[in-house]
Amino acid sequence: MTRTQLTYLSIALLTLVVAATARVGNSQLGIMDDGAAKPRAFVLYTAEPQTVPAARRSVLEVRFHIVPGFHVNSHTPNSQLLIPTTLTLQPSAGVKPGAMEYPAGKPYSFSFDPGDKLDVYADDFTVKLPITATAGDHAMDATLKYQACDNASCYPPRTLPVKIVFTAKLH
Amino acid sequence: MLRRTLLLLTMLAGLLLIAWSGWHNLRQSRSVLHLRPEDRVDLVPDTTSTASSSASSTTTQSSPLRGKPAPAFALADLDGHTVSLNDFKGRPLLINFWGTYCAPCKIEMPWLQEFSKKYSSSGFEIIGITYDAEVGKQTIARDTQQLGVTYPILLSDAKAEKDYLSGTDALPMSFYVDKAGKVIEVSAGLGSKDQLESLVKETIAAGNE
Repeated sequence: MTRTQLTYLSIALLTLVVAATARVGNSQLGIMDDGAAKPRAFVLYTAEPQTVPAARRSVLEVRFHIVPGFHVNSHTPNSQLLIPTTLTLQPSAGVKPGAMEYPAGKPYSFSFDPGDKLDVYADDFTVKLPITATAGDHAMDATLKYQACDNASCYPPRTLPVKIVFTAKLH
Repeated sequence: MLRRTLLLLTMLAGLLLIAWSGWHNLRQSRSVLHLRPEDRVDLVPDTTSTASSSASSTTTQSSPLRGKPAPAFALADLDGHTVSLNDFKGRPLLINFWGTYCAPCKIEMPWLQEFSKKYSSSGFEIIGITYDAEVGKQTIARDTQQLGVTYPILLSDAKAEKDYLSGTDALPMSFYVDKAGKVIEVSAGLGSKDQLESLVKETIAAGNE
């Protein structure tokens, strides 16, 4: 093997080593970042643009996702001592809201007290919001108040800012 | 010639691997940055998909307080009197953080009430510290009355939460303090009544030396 060939071979091997190291480095960074995450919110919301007819009563659907492993009290928990999930709207020009419709909850009991049935949302839930809106694009601000628990512990009430985005079209 | 071509191809493969790694890293970084801080969560096993609990349990915590003297506190009770840790000096003690919104807390509190009576002859005492003191004494008194609780209920403050809870806001959280004033166990979450009673007995038996 000539000196030139040896040089080429060295460069090729060095290139492969650097490439492999870069990949390993990426993996470690990802793990560190995941490990640093802390539970902050238990309900997530992503604005889903909707289209409704203008100047007519129509219903917007506001969808929420509950982080796996947790549940929140429904809008009508079975105890006056518990905090219900509520969505509060801010006034918005050109939008006349009606009474919100909350979904029914599911029965839930902690394993050490099976007789006490709570009423909760788990996984996903959708609040229906009747509105009558003028033609155009609208963005309504709202706040979801909820209180979450897992299968053994509960967390203080939290609020989630919500922006409901929709377009009212004239037909 | 063939050898040189093979070497060049190997180098090219390496460079492509570097480029791919860089692109993958960039995409991953962007996806992480895209998440708002409040949307970053620790995921735990889904035990509620069927809306029923199957394996609730008290977990003893690796708290920095275990084995150390219980931090001093001086907190107001529902009558406005100040109650301090020193008032319970020489007695086995259970310090239970709870909240009016906390359903599992309200399951275990009647059990704690029962233990406070059952083991009172051993000098055992229980203190409830209300985490959401901001709801007001009236609400707290209503809840504790409905639960049949007669052991002291105190209103939490920032210092007590910093000293005991170390940044967590999960309830219930209990600290078992022996006669010598040392935290011998810390538990989080709802456990079984038997588990709780075992910890109470352990607390009473400890600190005799």
